[in-house]
Parts: sequence; C-alpha cells; structure tokens
Amino acid sequence: MTPPIRDITIVAAGQGGDGSVTLVSALGELFAGRGYHVYEAREVASRVKGGVAAASLRASVDPKRCLGDATDLLVAFDAAALEQNASALAPHAYVVYDSSEGPAPRGRIPATASVIEAPLSRLAVRDLRRDLYKNSVALGLAARLLGAPDALTEETLTTHLGKLSEQLRAANVRALRAGFAYADEAGLTAGSASWSLDRIEAEERVLMTGNEAIAFGFLAAGGRFFAGYPITPASEILEWLAERLPSFGGVVVQAEDELAAVNMTMGAALTGTRAMTASSGPGIALMQEGVGHAASAEIGIVIVDCQRAGPSTGMPTKPEQSDIGMLISGGNGDIPRIVLAPGDPREAFELTVLACDLADRYQGPVYVASDQALSQNATTIRPPDVRGISPDRGKLLREVDLRDAAEFRRYSLNGYGDGVSPWTAFGTPGGQHLVTGNERDEWGLVTTAPAMRTRMTEKRMRKLETVRDSLPRAVVSGDPKAEIALVGSGLETGVMREAAERLAASGVATKVVQIRTLWPILEDVLEALDGCRAYVVEHNATGQYAAALSAAGAAARVHSILRYDGLPFRPSELVAAVEEKEFA
Amino acid sequence: MARTYTPSLPIWCAGCGHFGVLNALRSAVRDLRIPLHEVALLAGIGCSGTIQNYLGTYGYHALHGRVVPTAIGVALADPRLTVVAAGGDGDGYAIGAGHLIHAFRRNVSLTYVCMNNETYGLTKGQSSPSGFLAGDEGSFDGPLAGLAIRGSTFIARGYTGRPEQLARLMRAALEHSRERRGFAFLEVISPCVTYADTYPDWEHTLYDVDADAAYSSGDRALAFSTALRLAEDRRLPIGLLYRAAEHAADASAPAVPASSGAPTPDLVARYEELLGRYAVRSSSGAGAAR
Ligand SMILES: Cc1ncc(C[n+]2csc(CCOP(=O)(O)OP(=O)(O)O)c2C)c(N)n1
Ligand code: SF4
Ligand SMILES: [Mg+2]
Repeated sequence: MTPPIRDITIVAAGQGGDGSVTLVSALGELFAGRGYHVYEAREVASRVKGGVAAASLRASVDPKRCLGDATDLLVAFDAAALEQNASALAPHAYVVYDSSEGPAPRGRIPATASVIEAPLSRLAVRDLRRDLYKNSVALGLAARLLGAPDALTEETLTTHLGKLSEQLRAANVRALRAGFAYADEAGLTAGSASWSLDRIEAEERVLMTGNEAIAFGFLAAGGRFFAGYPITPASEILEWLAERLPSFGGVVVQAEDELAAVNMTMGAALTGTRAMTASSGPGIALMQEGVGHAASAEIGIVIVDCQRAGPSTGMPTKPEQSDIGMLISGGNGDIPRIVLAPGDPREAFELTVLACDLADRYQGPVYVASDQALSQNATTIRPPDVRGISPDRGKLLREVDLRDAAEFRRYSLNGYGDGVSPWTAFGTPGGQHLVTGNERDEWGLVTTAPAMRTRMTEKRMRKLETVRDSLPRAVVSGDPKAEIALVGSGLETGVMREAAERLAASGVATKVVQIRTLWPILEDVLEALDGCRAYVVEHNATGQYAAALSAAGAAARVHSILRYDGLPFRPSELVAAVEEKEFA
Repeated sequence: MARTYTPSLPIWCAGCGHFGVLNALRSAVRDLRIPLHEVALLAGIGCSGTIQNYLGTYGYHALHGRVVPTAIGVALADPRLTVVAAGGDGDGYAIGAGHLIHAFRRNVSLTYVCMNNETYGLTKGQSSPSGFLAGDEGSFDGPLAGLAIRGSTFIARGYTGRPEQLARLMRAALEHSRERRGFAFLEVISPCVTYADTYPDWEHTLYDVDADAAYSSGDRALAFSTALRLAEDRRLPIGLLYRAAEHAADASAPAVPASSGAPTPDLVARYEELLGRYAVRSSSGAGAAR
C-alpha cells in the first residue's frame, strides 16, 4: 500500500478556455469529499484573452491557507503552460502533458520528475469531436495518478457538473473514461504514482471564496442595499448580491461610477437600510470624498476593498495590500474610521457581519480590507454561523422611542459621553432631522463656531474609543515567548502560520500575530510584539502597515518583509526571507 | 412627541431666486398634504444647497455634485418616502452632470430640482456650464439632455419670475414621482441677484409652452425641436416640456427592503439553504481501488 497523501499541490495550466479551472475544482471536490482541506487559487494574466491561465490546488490533512512550495502534479495543456510552470515542479513531480502537438519540451523539467505524454486534445476530438472536453480526459489521468478509484472520480465529476445539461455531463463522463482508457494503455493503475487518497474524519465544511463570504455575510447581517461598479477583483460581490438580494426584498444597483456607488450607499443607509459598497483600489480612491462624508455626517456604511496591485490601474488580477495607507488615512480632514481585515473566508463572513453592526453602532464608515487572493481563492472552512446573527443597530430610535422623548438632537453631544448620538431612519414620524457634512450644531444646522467645532470633532473621534473593545483582536499563535514575530493580515495569514511552524521546527521559535483590525491599532498588537523582533509581512513596496505600527509605538521592533511582484508568498519563500534578515 | 430642529431662516441674499424655489416647494408639500416626516429633501452644495434647512422635513446636505445618486439611494431603499433632490447648476450640470444622465436613464421615482442661476453663487460668481444668456453655444441645457434619453418621463422648466406657474410645475413633479411614474426633472431659472442679476433678461428670453395651445407635452420630438428652434432666436422654453403618457408608470416599484432586525426563522432557513450549496459533500465511498 502506498502511504496516503498528506499535503499536495496540483497545478493545471493552459490557455484561457482550456478548462484548467474546472479540472482543478473537480479535483478539489475529490479531495474535499475525502475530508481533506483544500485551497484553490487561480492565476490569470491581467488581460482578457491569451496568456497562460493556471489554476492551483493544495489539498492537505491540516488546514493550509496558501499553496505549497512546489508543484507535485502539473497538468499542462501546451508548451507555454509547461514552460511557465516547470521551474516550480518538485523533484519527483508528475507532469501530464497534452502531446497532441508534439512531445513535451523537457528543458526545465527536473530530471527526476515523471512526464506522461497524452494526446488529450486529440483524444477529445476523436471520441467527442470537441477539443473542450480535453480537461475531462486529463482529469481521468490525474485522478489515476492520485490513486483515486475511477468510480469516485466519475461520481465527483458528475456532481461537479451538476449545473450542466444531461447531455454535456454525459459527454464529459465519456471524456473522463477516455482518460481512464488511455491510462490503462499506458499502464497507469491507481497508485502507480505512489499516491493514494486517504479518508479523513472531518467536521462539516463549506468551500467558499472570500468574496462569496463577504457577500453572504452582508446578506445574513440583514444587509439589503448594495451599490457597486464592476472592477476586478471585487465584481463577484456585486454579481453574487445582484443574483440574490432582490429575492430577499433588497436592492442592488450597478452604479455609473464609484462616486455614485458610495453616495447611493449613504442614501440607502439614511433610511435605516443596511448598506454596503465594494470595489478595488481605483474605485476606493474615487470614493474617498464619500467615505469622509460618511464620517463627518455620521452615516454608517460598509466599504469593501478587494485590494489589487497599484498604483493607478496597476495589475488588476494580482494581490497587493498597497491600499492600507489610503484605508487608514485617506481623505480630507480628520476622519474616524474602522478598517477590518479578515484572514480567510470564514473571517470574511464574520467580519462583514461585524462591520454592519459597527457601522450602526458608531455611525461612520467601516472598511473591510480584502485582497485579490483572499477575495477570489476558495478555501474549505467551518460553515459560518447563520443562526446566531442578531443585528445590533446601536442607538437607533423607532417611532415609539421618539414619542416618549422630550427632544431629538441628531448630533447630540450627550454631555460628550461616548460620542455616539441617537439616530433615526428617514421617514420615522417625529424624527425629522438634518444631516450634513459641513460642521454643524447638535440640531444639524451648519456652524463654524469654534467651541462647537472643537466639541463635534472630539465627539466624532471619541466614537472610535467607544467601540474599541468590540474590534477584533489579533490572532496570536505559535510560541508566546518567541523573540521573532511574523505580523500580517489577509493573504499573509496562512503562509505566516506555515512559515512559523517551519522556523520553529528548525529551532527558531516564532510567533504569528495576525492582524484583524488594521485601524485603529489596538493595544493587544503592541503587547504581542513586546520584546520581539517583529517582521511585518505585507504586499506593498513601502511598508504601509509597518509605518502605521511604528507610529503607534512599535518603531524600535518593526522590520519589513515586503513583496510587490504580484505573487503571494510560498511558505519556503517567507522562511527564507526571515532567515535572511535573522542571519544576515 | 420629541422636539426636533427648528427650520432656520434662509441665508440667501434679499431677492435671490432661490426663495422662489423654496416657496414653490413649500406650497407643493402643503397642497399635496404630505406629512413632513415622509419628505426627504436632499440638497447639493452651493447657495441652493441650504434649501433643506428651511421646511422642517428630513434634510440632507450632499457632497458637491452627488445629490442625485444619494437621492436615488434613498428612493430605492424606501419607496414610501417623497424624495426631493435640489441643487445648483454647478452642482448638477458641472461636477454632477454624469449622474444626471444616468438618473434620466434609470427613471427612479423622485423629484430633482435644478436651481439654475447660470453662475456659481456660493463661490462668488464664477461661470457655470449653463451660460445660455451669455450666448454660449456650448452651454449645457439640462432639459434638452433629458429629452435626448428616451427613458426620461418628466421634464419641465420653471422661472422664479413666474411663481404661479412654478408652483404648478413643482406640484406636478412631486405628483409624478409620488405616483411612481419615475424621475421628475424640474429646472428652475432662479437668478442670483448678487453675482448675475439676470431678471431683466429672462422676461424676453423665455417662451411659455404651457400658454401655447398648439404645443403638446406628450410629444418628445416636438419638445426637442421646439427647444432647438427657440434657441436659434436665443429663446428658451419654459413650462411642462415633456411628460410621458400615463402607461409609462413605474410598475417595477421595488418592495421596501426589510428592516434589518433579528432574522425570522423563515429567513434563517433560507440562509441555511444558501449555505448548504457551498457544503462539501463527503463522497459516497464509491468504487474500491482498482
Ligand atoms: C468637490 C468640491 N469642489 C468644489 C467645491 C466648491 N464649491 C462650493 S459651491 C460650488 C458651486 C456652487 O454653484 P451652484 O451649484 O450653481 O450653486 P449656487 O451657489 O449657484 O446656488 C463650488 C464649486 C466643493 N464644495 N466641493
Ligand atoms: S449669492 Fe446669489 S445665489 Fe447666493 S444667495 Fe446671494 S443671490 Fe442667491
Ligand atoms: Mg448656480
């Protein structure tokens, strides 16, 4: 018996349209069905057509939130795809190559790797008269190599293609069988590649992308208005909600631009409807005036930033965290704001729900900072709890409350108190009030009186202190007494944990501080870094979060590990980056 | 009942056209007997952008140029409200012009009043895109722009120098949007007596289509050609320029989004059903290894 797979990274690559994504997600389902954790990533060139498109999968017994160091199994549909992915092959990797156009160029393939040349496209055309079934042929070969029983692969493919017509599904199954037949001819029995599938007892799981989780979290939090403008990698949130929110009595608007989107969102929020918008860097930049307005006028809204490489249009399909500076300090004037940063889809769901509550409770803008990798990659997670959500609308006054009150001052200073004034939804009888972004008095009437200006400014800033205790703490893991800390958020979350484990295994005790509130900077982060060399890992060229952390008092401890080539870290790369700094 | 804000007194210069807009709006709200709490009055930035403080309704001061998208957000999220957006020509025809085009296209039921004084009042008299009187051939004409979009349903122009007609048009605009027939656009010529006192010029420039028995406000092409012909003589039409026929009523009025209270068991069941679609199915154990 070959030992079962514990951790494997698989890549399928070809031209866009070759079916790499479907192939990889079917394999993902195969593993997930056996109790493995899976992490699925897509890599596309930042243009519409042409260029190699790759899909990657990591299946592991322990949860990982990143790809492994090297590719154990590569399916390449053409020479360009093989050449682009060959250098990442593990020494004993398997390669399935579509040899319809000729033999595999072996130049960059490690000598110890095994190459299986199969005319995938020709087989598909011969048996099904369509090139597009070649990915199902490839699935047959790949599944054999992985040691999956044929019947299981067939069952998985059939359920995976559940949305397709009966006819198309049948054609794909025939293609799969053609793959099995070819494997038989080539002498590839299950297990001949010394891999086998385990069956792992696993708790209930769902497989979701960050964007799906954010959209779903908003819906489950009672969110009923969304306005957005299409942009990679945030569009899936707009699309997900456009498909579902109307059937829940909600409204989705595809706005004419992001200026409209953020202002529509504020308009909806005024009526007491939970409202959100989402975009990426260029759109969030356009929204800055609106975010400042939400802070000044005290309107609770949620803004999602699925960060991509910038500046300007940058690299639309590549992850970065180079909006952090804008999120924590963009806009004119002194703007209280909250910036939450989930590290996986489950947190994306939960922090979006929390963001909705916070927006109501402190009456201002709440960002959810995601990134392309978190937003678009899919991960198995424990199902988010949709039962226990009960929206906290803060100091929302209903008609009855107003009937009993002596007076209602929308911007009541409340003797300063917690800085949070009572609010009411437009349309509530007796609650008429004025909302403005100009400085104003407690009734909402515009003023420039110095004393009132001072108090109103302080009141707005005070609200952040009021909700501080509800902001998500950092997740600290690893050796609490370690002298080295890896600090980061979003797409760094999984890779930091894995790098820390490896560093610990090599005798370098390391802790991980996963930041979930980027702004304000919470005490617990500074405490966790006390006495440590803090390596702040982030995807930008200027160390934007490190700068904020330094300004908050950690300057003496902070060292940056930066990356801005558009690629996520692999664990070994992060380990190497730490070692280079430590032992330089 | 809680005491709320006391509407303030207008801060406009004596004689400012904007008083006329306020008067027309006040009488329309009163004549239609709309309770003040059901009115959301949103304003832009400018001298015009103080109108929300004067009536005792729900009032909102938008960012410069963003009053229309904000009003669309309000109107879509709570269709029970009477939503009125108001702002200057700088607000609506310069910085906010892009939104106006899309407002015509979307035809969401609300009223938008553009208080056009052909200047930037608040920032002290700079030129505006709507320099019709100045003879600028390139000047932006809001009603014409609206007529060019075939989905528009209500387009009118009033003049603060003719308060009775203005009151009538304001009332018709509010009725149009309250009957959910779509986006009611009313441009009001509302001179700035301080930086561009144009009152003397408008009288002989304006042509009242309401007084023209041969004019039909149900004919988009006629409305368009009338405006273009008049412009050749450096004249501008006022009155009800175009109103779509009765059947254009907005039947797709959205339901009021659920208030976001604790979810009902029904709702939770739907969320769970949705979550189930992401569930990882554990495989049936089909097929022993071969
Ligand atoms: C983004 C932005 N740019 C510029 C301004 C400055 N500003 C205030 S009011 C105004 C123009 C007002 O003109 P109009 O909209 O015609 O209103 P009026 O005062 O004439 O009623 C400008 C440019 C601003 N508030 N915001
Ligand atoms: S400056 Fe002009 S527009 Fe402003 S209030 Fe005075 S007259 Fe009216
Ligand atoms: Mg003006």
